[in-house]
Amino acid sequence: MGDKHQVPEVKSPATIESGAAYSWPEAPILIGSRVKRVDGPDKVQGKAKYSYDVNRPGMLYGRILRSPYAHARIVSIDFSAAKRAPGVRATLAILEPGQRAMYQGDEVAALAATTEELAADALRLVRVKYEVLPHLATIAQAMDPIAPPIFEGGNVRRGNAEEEGDLEAGFAAAAHTVEQSYSTQVETHQSLETHGCVCEWEDGKLTAWASTQAVHGTREGFAKALEIPQSNVRVITQYMGGGFGSKFGPDVQGITCAKLAKQADAAVKLMLDRKEEQLAVGNRPSAFANIKAGVTADGALTAFDAETWGTGGAGRGAGFPLPYIYQFPNRRRVHADVYTNAGPQRAMRAPGHPQGCFITELLMDELADQIQMDPVEFRLKNLPPKAPNAMWADYFPKAAQRFGWSKRHPTGDSTPGPIKTGFGCAANRWGGGGRGSQARCEIHPDGGVVMRCGTQDIGTGIRTIVQMITAETLGIPFEAVIPEIGDSVYPFSGGSGGSTTSPSVSPAIRITAEKARAEFADRLASALGVDATNVVVRDGRVLIGEDTSKTMSWKEACRRLGTELVSVDGKWERGLSSSGSSGVQLAEVEVDIETGVTKVKRITIVQDCGLVLDPLTAESQVYGGVIMGVGFALYENRIMDRNTGQMVNPNMEWYLLPGMSDVPEIDITVVSQPERGVIGLGEPPTIATAAAIGNAVANATGVRVRSLPITPDKVLESLDQLF
Amino acid sequence: MSPKKNEILTGLPCESEEASDSSGLSVSRRDFFKTVSIAGIATAVISPGATRAQEGVRAIGPNSVPVELMINGQSHKLKIEPRVTLLDAARNQLDITGAKRVCDRGSCGACTMIVDGRAVYSCSTLAIEVQGKEIRTVEGLANADGLHPVQQAFCDTDGLMCGFCTPGYVVAAVSMLEKNPNPTPEEARAGLDGNICRCGTYARVLEATLKAQGVRRG
Repeated sequence: MGDKHQVPEVKSPATIESGAAYSWPEAPILIGSRVKRVDGPDKVQGKAKYSYDVNRPGMLYGRILRSPYAHARIVSIDFSAAKRAPGVRATLAILEPGQRAMYQGDEVAALAATTEELAADALRLVRVKYEVLPHLATIAQAMDPIAPPIFEGGNVRRGNAEEEGDLEAGFAAAAHTVEQSYSTQVETHQSLETHGCVCEWEDGKLTAWASTQAVHGTREGFAKALEIPQSNVRVITQYMGGGFGSKFGPDVQGITCAKLAKQADAAVKLMLDRKEEQLAVGNRPSAFANIKAGVTADGALTAFDAETWGTGGAGRGAGFPLPYIYQFPNRRRVHADVYTNAGPQRAMRAPGHPQGCFITELLMDELADQIQMDPVEFRLKNLPPKAPNAMWADYFPKAAQRFGWSKRHPTGDSTPGPIKTGFGCAANRWGGGGRGSQARCEIHPDGGVVMRCGTQDIGTGIRTIVQMITAETLGIPFEAVIPEIGDSVYPFSGGSGGSTTSPSVSPAIRITAEKARAEFADRLASALGVDATNVVVRDGRVLIGEDTSKTMSWKEACRRLGTELVSVDGKWERGLSSSGSSGVQLAEVEVDIETGVTKVKRITIVQDCGLVLDPLTAESQVYGGVIMGVGFALYENRIMDRNTGQMVNPNMEWYLLPGMSDVPEIDITVVSQPERGVIGLGEPPTIATAAAIGNAVANATGVRVRSLPITPDKVLESLDQLF
Repeated sequence: MSPKKNEILTGLPCESEEASDSSGLSVSRRDFFKTVSIAGIATAVISPGATRAQEGVRAIGPNSVPVELMINGQSHKLKIEPRVTLLDAARNQLDITGAKRVCDRGSCGACTMIVDGRAVYSCSTLAIEVQGKEIRTVEGLANADGLHPVQQAFCDTDGLMCGFCTPGYVVAAVSMLEKNPNPTPEEARAGLDGNICRCGTYARVLEATLKAQGVRRG
């Protein structure tokens, strides 16, 4: 609650304010069409250089020594043997004697050597004496009243109650109540490119090729930690292999890499390995809830009383929105953050929302079952009023029709045989929206057009968006524009998180390109001695008034500019973006009641995101969100061993991710709302998937698994209740 | 170009195995590979030092040894430690960085290369094991005529997002289609199950692979 890692909800306007100076084109050519990803060819050929792929002259390899213990005090660190090892060029203590490592994988020391192999060997020669301390590896251990106080201020931080209405009256008005416990697991980001960077110093200036979702934020982070001016730091991220909310700053490994590079006077590459990635650089916190809720006989929600908690690991909160979307007139909620000796959480794709959604949506189906009402009909009765950012009342019927929801059977598939089929539904909301991105557009006398913006492409396709909006606005072919992003020397743009990249960057590009177009027209008009309003660029041809004999190619027109290129700056303004999206998902599953294995057959999703810039890449976002949601529903789980405080599955074979054969048929409808401007789509499609699957499992088997992931053992255990 | 190449060519002294012995810690996974793959000893808990002492076993290394790799039709002469994987040799020594290191233990397929016609996890293949074999990487698929049909299909269907799994997926798809040019969707799914994508491009990777099927390389 009030967690700083949680992106705030729909606070900015849900519609574009009137009177804005700029607008989107009414009859666009490129915007809204299926434009292929511009960096596709480089990526499919292995030419795209990610930070992990950067090799520099004389480059060393850095490695971090991490605490093998869940909780330990450093007694001493001895580098003498490591320093004598072959190839070692720099060593660094990250923790000092007396300081504590708070989880397995907490950074202790580091070194750099000439090869990766020698660095790994030398790391084993760093002698660290630990005083092993008691640990709280699991939430149960941390909440035990006799648990040792490990975290300053307490292991459990209980917040104040959030209350609205009259809870007692609400329960008095209820014809039925449901009292149940729900939970979601800790999920790790599992970005394929691990965290890390290559750092190189020259004349006191640092260049970092970092795997980051924020080149400007990371530059600021380096400057602050290293106590050097921001102008002495350059951060480059041309391509990055996924972040999902976990890569917003230089982090310990980035600062360590920069320090090792300085000490060795050589470039250093320090990329984490998969185990480090799983242990130390973020996860989605768990969520638990004990809830009592009431409903009237005709399906009106009356009361909601919840005690919730969760762990964000060592010293981080575990907030999530609850109840989610549906309106309980009388409600109370008390939340506690539980600290454990485990890797700290970071923002992860729609922070808090999949948890709040799963818990609320399962409860909704249980309430609907109490009154024998169809789950979709029940939801329609309890939605907030329809608004541009709250369109569920339209989307549920639309999705139900596409999906064939009318074929849903009541809870419990009564057909014979071990394979049971079920349908489930859920809804989601998200904020998104824009903020102050800046851009610079250059039109060169040789006809070249460059649009620069210090944003970064984390896989969503913003490089393509920059290119298409520039081309559309200038009236020149798509191929004529060079988009330059992913470098902190380019104009400021914020971090790519919270589904804010497109709504921040695309207005800045539109406005900057409009300004460049105006200056180009002015300059050309004065060179030709005509009125600037007569200069029109269309399809790469420059038209001068009505006189077709004066029509010239774009290149010829640019040549008339002389040597002085057009260079204009622009920035995000209100009027081209807004905030708040809504969506619904329906799922069909098959559950084998003999093995307990759940297979997701189909997902239908109806999701809006304002103006759809590129339906091709927008659909990819939706596919990706849904598939990540399938993993959250059925497979993914960080498992901590309570005795040793170790993560049991810090890899990619025991931490289960969805694979090709696990992917259901996915029916996508991206609703375009051009009147709302750009909103953002990165997060919303992952939110409701697990909840819809959870409800479908209950519809199939007749019993409810109230805890994620829905693994075969839990399904079989829940079925035991029937006998 | 990796600077290490020069350093390695000068023959760095390497005491890595001794270092590992004296630390008292168990052997690393790479040591394990080396022990098992090269010496053919199944008892991986034996330290490399002990292995070397055994009679009748020809020890290679621990120092850098000459290795010749034929990658995408081009011969590369290296001096690397025997424990260096094919993936690391390509990425760190040759600056051939298309194949990615993600899990580094044969679970995710991002490092997939084709060795003598067979898709392999290059993170779990020692470079010295594949000498004399034909190694193909994602960099070797396109030719003067343009992208390989599989690469083109990935671009056309948007079968990629962040792109980090993409080279491995492209190579896995090419390898599968070379063996089975007309897979059913079920066969294609099974053939591509050795790769993991976190962005969730699976649906379109499958679409791309099926679209590219049967297309002969011109």
